[in-house]
Amino acid sequence: MLALVRPDSWNLPLFLHVLGATLTFGATTTVAVLGFAGIQGDRERTAWLRSLTFWVSFGILVPAFILMRGTALWILDKEFPGGHNEPGWVNVGFAVSEPGALLVIVMVILAWFSRSPKSRVAVAVPWLAAILLAGLAVAWFAMSAKPGA
Amino acid sequence: MSLYQWLLFFHVTGAFFLIGGIVIAGILNLAAIVKDRPPSQVATLYGLIRFAVPLIGVGLVLTLAIGLWLVHNVGYSYGQTWIVLAIVLWVVASALGNIDGKYQRRTGELAQSLAAEGDAPSTELRARLRNPRALLISYGSGLMAFAVLGLMIWKPGV
Repeated sequence: MLALVRPDSWNLPLFLHVLGATLTFGATTTVAVLGFAGIQGDRERTAWLRSLTFWVSFGILVPAFILMRGTALWILDKEFPGGHNEPGWVNVGFAVSEPGALLVIVMVILAWFSRSPKSRVAVAVPWLAAILLAGLAVAWFAMSAKPGA
Repeated sequence: MSLYQWLLFFHVTGAFFLIGGIVIAGILNLAAIVKDRPPSQVATLYGLIRFAVPLIGVGLVLTLAIGLWLVHNVGYSYGQTWIVLAIVLWVVASALGNIDGKYQRRTGELAQSLAAEGDAPSTELRARLRNPRALLISYGSGLMAFAVLGLMIWKPGV
């Protein structure tokens, strides 16, 4: 019922947070789809698909993730100033986004090295994206349903 | 967990599917447009857009059905400004998305046939990809979904 009594000043950070989260979900899924498509096929096909996988992960996923994570801190500071009495669902967000940030960095680095059709690490990129998607699903369950609240 | 919490979770899941699907289709569509690609690459990108279609479909159903249930569950009036606006935008965005989907499918089919016939650059394909009216419909319907997200947060008129 918090949404019903939410102060107006929380709306912008919340909107940007949800926007960032949905963009992160869409960009991660795109990286997974392009990454899996770029594993097999002739050299020319795998080369351009892997290059596109890198550019989507670097140019869209990274900014979307930063938007999601940065605005999470903004809304958290308004909702729980000083970090006092943070409920469990907030901690789920941290538990997903902190290793998630590391996963995104590793994914971008591997996507960069995967641009060569000879690269053997290309297969890791879409699987890392799939792991991130599972983590995001856990986070959006915790953020929306707020179990225990 | 209460019914309200479950409804909110499935409603938000619908929003993630819908906007996530729009983002996937938008990125792949943009990738086909921003660079002069051979028809085979355009066909591949348009073929991958099919993964976004079920997400958008399930997202549309969940956002509307669970959204209306939430309105009833919370006790909002169905006539409130933000609810009426959200439903109108949902209907218009769905209709435009349907028109866009048909156009994109035909573009994908054209790219596929050109790829099979030698993969030579085609002015017809390029014109279809960069058709301003089609792009307006495509990106307009996507932006309407983002506008609905804004309405859900600000709830003007409450």
